[in-house]
Amino acid sequence: MRAPSVDHPSKGQSLPSPAHAPAAAQSTSESTGSRLAIETSGLVKRFGQRAAIDGVDLSVPRGVAFGFLGPNGAGKTTMIRMLLGLTHASAGSMKLLGYPVPAGRAMALRRVGAIVEEPRFHMHLSGRENLRTVAAVRGPETRERIAPALARVGLSERADEKVKGYSLGMRQRLGVARSLLADPLLLILDEPTNGLDPGGIQEFREMIRAMVEQEGRTIFLSSHLLDEVEKVCDAAAIVDRGKVVTQGPIAELAQGGTQNELIVGVDDPDRALSLLDDMAQVREARRSEEGLRVVLADGPEAAATVNARLVSAGLAVARLEPVRHSLEERFLEITARLDATPEEARA
Amino acid sequence: MNAVALRMFDADLLKLRKKRGTLVWVLVLALLPLVVLFTVRAVQHSSTPHRYGPAGGTPGFIDGLRLLCTFFGPLAAILVGVEAGTGDVSAGVFRDLVVTGRSRSALFFSRVPAALAVCWSVMIVGYAIVVACTFAFASHLPTPDTALILNGLGFTLLATGVVCVVAVGFASLTTSKPAAITALIAWQLVASPLIANISSLGSARDGVLSQALVHFSPVHIGGDRGANVTMSQTTALIVMAAWLAVFLALGAWRTRRMDA
Repeated sequence: MRAPSVDHPSKGQSLPSPAHAPAAAQSTSESTGSRLAIETSGLVKRFGQRAAIDGVDLSVPRGVAFGFLGPNGAGKTTMIRMLLGLTHASAGSMKLLGYPVPAGRAMALRRVGAIVEEPRFHMHLSGRENLRTVAAVRGPETRERIAPALARVGLSERADEKVKGYSLGMRQRLGVARSLLADPLLLILDEPTNGLDPGGIQEFREMIRAMVEQEGRTIFLSSHLLDEVEKVCDAAAIVDRGKVVTQGPIAELAQGGTQNELIVGVDDPDRALSLLDDMAQVREARRSEEGLRVVLADGPEAAATVNARLVSAGLAVARLEPVRHSLEERFLEITARLDATPEEARA
Repeated sequence: MNAVALRMFDADLLKLRKKRGTLVWVLVLALLPLVVLFTVRAVQHSSTPHRYGPAGGTPGFIDGLRLLCTFFGPLAAILVGVEAGTGDVSAGVFRDLVVTGRSRSALFFSRVPAALAVCWSVMIVGYAIVVACTFAFASHLPTPDTALILNGLGFTLLATGVVCVVAVGFASLTTSKPAAITALIAWQLVASPLIANISSLGSARDGVLSQALVHFSPVHIGGDRGANVTMSQTTALIVMAAWLAVFLALGAWRTRRMDA
């Protein structure tokens, strides 16, 4: 399901790229050849003395769903607003689809769709008429995309009703339809599942994955919902207090620095603990509810050595598995550390 | 006008003409006073003909033109202009138009022809009422000739169109519908006549837009509207052009610079 990794150009981490050639991306004449959909360097946004965005370096490869994860007030929406030219950056540089922003903004945004904060509409117009007003601004070819976009989000039958009669979920879906009018290579979504019911959220996730996997589009999804990012995105950046704390593939982010931790189940835990304490490959061993929790001093390959030592000592090893963290645990761990020492959190 | 500009005009027109609440007020402001004026005068004339003259004829035409072009028409034009200038921002969709990549100046300037189209549609109906009543209730009085009728139409479109465009620019500058409507109506109804009547201000009063506009009227509609500032046609033209240029520039500047 998830694509293989490629080297990340700026962070030295690996990020996934699409498993197949993205048709939409390859066919575009607007493409600059850049492998990155979004690229920022030292981006800063200040409101008076306060830095809402503080030196952000971000690299989002094409053809992936990329989560922009952070608590409320972390600077996610400000970042999106800068990328889209809705507000000016105080310092730094950014590129969308290879075009520098704001200099090449018009070219870049031709193939960018976006929902910023909650989608807003002219309430006195119907859903279709609202799309018409945006299609008119985008260009003549866009009008033909209105009906397919409405169909895609399941609003065809109610498209001629006034938007003031729509539920919040329907407005969210209409917002997605509006963003699809650009036939976007890059879709920027800010908290897109707000107001959707569970069924709607599931449909939305499936739509996002289809856009990435079948159409080769890039999705930049900002959210404070860890579960959403974990289920939808290939990679993510965690942002807090205007800074990107870490970024990379979801699996790597979730593991973080704890990939050397094991849960060990044995028939004689006390004896196992004394054996493990004497091993150079083990940094720490302690009891936990699941069994023995063992932190390896070396890489994960030391697990085999631990297993061999316990078995050779005559212990029955019923369980030996790496500790798996959810993105939520990792996120809370990072932001908690950030409360104490920002430098340590970034380590 | 290229295809995109035409579609943007069409979209802005759609937003305005579907804004029923505003449109009802515009129609009421522009048309109802004319209907009331001619109806009351016709009733007065029919009940007491020796005391009240016919409602129509050239005198009726002049009174109707004054009501439409210097009082209620500009108020209606302000409502249309403000709605056009603030509609996208107040609905929260301006940012969605900005993220299309279209220049903000283009977004601003497409509002102007749409506002004018709505404003002038209403004013043409209002002017048709004036002309129809002028002839219908003329009785023995002389009626305006074709040249005067055409000049009157041109003046109606000019007087209300300029105010409408200024309102688009000013509303885009403030981005607040209540603030823009309050300020413009206060200027039109209170400040302008007041300034025009302070003779000690001298030629500074030339800068009052309503005073400049009445200089283009084909008939004398000054008098009680306080059009007592004399200026040459050229000065009036410069004043009018300056108001348009300043408020269009301010509106465009704010639209380009504002956080969407």
